[in-house]
Amino acid sequence: MLSVLIKKELFVELRNKEVVFSMLAFGASVLLIFSFSFNGNPKTMHEIAPGLFWTLVLLSSSLGLHRMFGLEKDFDAFSSLIASPVDRSIIFLSKWISGFIFLSITELLIVVPFFLFLGLSKPMSIFPGLFIVLSGNLGITAVGVLISGLAMRARMSAVLLPVLLFPLLTPLLIACVKSTAGWFNANPLEFYQIWVMIMITYVVIFGLAGFTLFDQITEE
Amino acid sequence: MSNLLPDKISKALFIVTAILMSVNLYLIFAVTPMVPEQHWAQKIFYVHVPIAWSGFLSYFIVMLAGIMFLIKKDSKWDRVGLAAAELGTMFVILVLITGPIWATPIWGKPWIWEPRLTTTLILFLIYVGYFMLRKFGGHPERVSRIAAVIGIIAFLDVPLIFYSVKLWTPQFQLHPQVEMNQQPDGILFPFLFSMFTFTLLYFLMIRIRIHILNFKHKLLTEENV
Repeated sequence: MLSVLIKKELFVELRNKEVVFSMLAFGASVLLIFSFSFNGNPKTMHEIAPGLFWTLVLLSSSLGLHRMFGLEKDFDAFSSLIASPVDRSIIFLSKWISGFIFLSITELLIVVPFFLFLGLSKPMSIFPGLFIVLSGNLGITAVGVLISGLAMRARMSAVLLPVLLFPLLTPLLIACVKSTAGWFNANPLEFYQIWVMIMITYVVIFGLAGFTLFDQITEE
Repeated sequence: MSNLLPDKISKALFIVTAILMSVNLYLIFAVTPMVPEQHWAQKIFYVHVPIAWSGFLSYFIVMLAGIMFLIKKDSKWDRVGLAAAELGTMFVILVLITGPIWATPIWGKPWIWEPRLTTTLILFLIYVGYFMLRKFGGHPERVSRIAAVIGIIAFLDVPLIFYSVKLWTPQFQLHPQVEMNQQPDGILFPFLFSMFTFTLLYFLMIRIRIHILNFKHKLLTEENV
């Protein structure tokens, strides 16, 4: 059933491209603003780049996460979804995994302009960075889908989502920025493995919390 | 006043807390020794730490009440959670005020990214969202369930926030550490007394607040009938 729900999410997104396109368009606009606002020397840019990258991801993801339940809300389809004979935790898992895929695709598309516009040199190895970025994405979408799901059930969801999401993501954001900085500076893993551990702990705690609590917020 | 103190326990708690708080203030201002490097600024420590403790205790109660509400589906637990969230936030605001008051003469600036202060600030911001949801969220029953979930995940976040901020700013470990057993008796006893008194004050306040919320709920229910 999980794969069916994920396929449904991917199919809907493939048809209307709403989540990825909104994150990408917003991300590109923010990147443009960053390029003009932080036009420093290469050394300064190299130092602040991890923070800028995750700020960009966080801002873009808040927009995409808001749309994760957008279609269900617009067409009043959420009641039908939760009335279907599917465990609601599986609905959370499908949204989490599809949100993770959408965010990763967006980052894949924005990362090259990010390096180009900010004049950053290419990091030595790709794989540690890939692992850090994907772990960060898992954490952002775990909390993001849960908060998006509960904000969608309330009024003023567009305002509530970032107001609730950003403070909750603080430890993850710190860990993402620190581990990305370690990777940018080509430090050995031992120098930033504690941050990677925090990211993994965050993903486990909030993945489990979402899996357990999603059932509660979807009750009619 | 008798309306706010509905039972004998609340009345007794009120009298005991009033007496102990008077003694506490006397101890703080007249008995505790003056710490040479900090002078009067150190006195705020007898208030700052107990209110921080009460704030975090309150947020822990929000989480417990949230769990109970989701299990039992009894609106009584929602009111306990709301009362604890309100008081927790009030205490946390006081922490964010008293912290910089102490820090200005001691650190030379009102704010540094110290783990305890930062964790308190982030929790406060999460609860700003919590109260926005309570105020503007719409359907009351749905909002109660969502608020219970936020109360739970907010407290789950606390150790992660604290630990990550601590690692993020190792240079900012200037906060007085809580190794109270190393303090002289002249400081330790008044400090523990103040902790106890503020905890009693907290329990008195939450009893009164829950009583008011229960009364309000009763009135609204009768009005709807």
